[in-house]
Amino acid sequence: MVSKFLKKSIWVFHLNTGSCNACDIEILDVLTPFHDAERFGVKLVTSPRHADAILLTGPITAEALPKVINAIEAAPRPRVVIALGSCGVGGGIWHDTYSTIGGIKGLQKILEEKGVKVDAFYYVPGCPIRPEAILYAVALFKGLVQKKVKSEIKHAE
Amino acid sequence: MGEKLKPAKLLIVATKSGRVTKKYPYEEPLVSPDFRGLIEIDENKCIGCGACVNACPPNALQLISDKDTTVIRYFIGRCIFCWRCVDACPVGAIKGTRNFELATDDASDLYVHVVHKRAKCEACEGSGGTQKMLYYVVEKSPITEEYLNECPDCRKNSFIESVAKRRTGGVGE
Repeated sequence: MVSKFLKKSIWVFHLNTGSCNACDIEILDVLTPFHDAERFGVKLVTSPRHADAILLTGPITAEALPKVINAIEAAPRPRVVIALGSCGVGGGIWHDTYSTIGGIKGLQKILEEKGVKVDAFYYVPGCPIRPEAILYAVALFKGLVQKKVKSEIKHAE
Repeated sequence: MGEKLKPAKLLIVATKSGRVTKKYPYEEPLVSPDFRGLIEIDENKCIGCGACVNACPPNALQLISDKDTTVIRYFIGRCIFCWRCVDACPVGAIKGTRNFELATDDASDLYVHVVHKRAKCEACEGSGGTQKMLYYVVEKSPITEEYLNECPDCRKNSFIESVAKRRTGGVGE
């Protein structure tokens, strides 16, 4: 799998949408010299207007939702959203609580209604994600490693 | 103003510490033996009882039933890798792995389905638990065949009927 939109250096904007901060600490871990995501050109930027990709952590609380939409709208096309952690991908343990919209699936619907186009969504599950898992995702976007997960239907006999 | 390190001194510090950066995508990850990663469901051992579904805190494992089949759906994107299902499984069908490399571009990659056939009820149109669950129960505690082929409601009714027949039968004669 090679990403059409993230072939070159990925400048990311880190967007916390009500996460518990575990995933956010792991993102900072990736940027330390120990794991050093800058080998692959990953760089944190402070404004979504400079970003190629938006790193979205957390289950997107109702309070954060308008700000999330604003931030995604501010990113230039082609815009990419990378959902990090169990909360970002599927809502995690908050998937059916009243104050969250339950991860990226609910956000996709709302963005469609608002007419905000996102060119690609990528998913990186883990609770919290290991720094290596983020590095693996970056390597996957550049075609350095093979995709490991695939959908399975098993029939019990 | 604090004392500044001279470039020559910095060089000494740098050579002492050496290279710290891991080459991760090109070498083995630093995964400890206790690390909890993705779970794997063995479809040949699984009986479809739903014990793992009850134990799962974020409902990553869900039991979806229709008339003929029962499906255990595992959504990796919501899993928090607590391995409670591994402890809860009565037949040891769920195995924990140390796999954490789960990044994908397609959300449908994150679903694993285990499809079970449901046992048909002989008395009514409905169906009970899965077939493998019945075999498991028979192995643990043998019961008569007429109860085995019925759904839980019919089984209850026929048991009550048989008890009532035994009592009133004695009085009638």
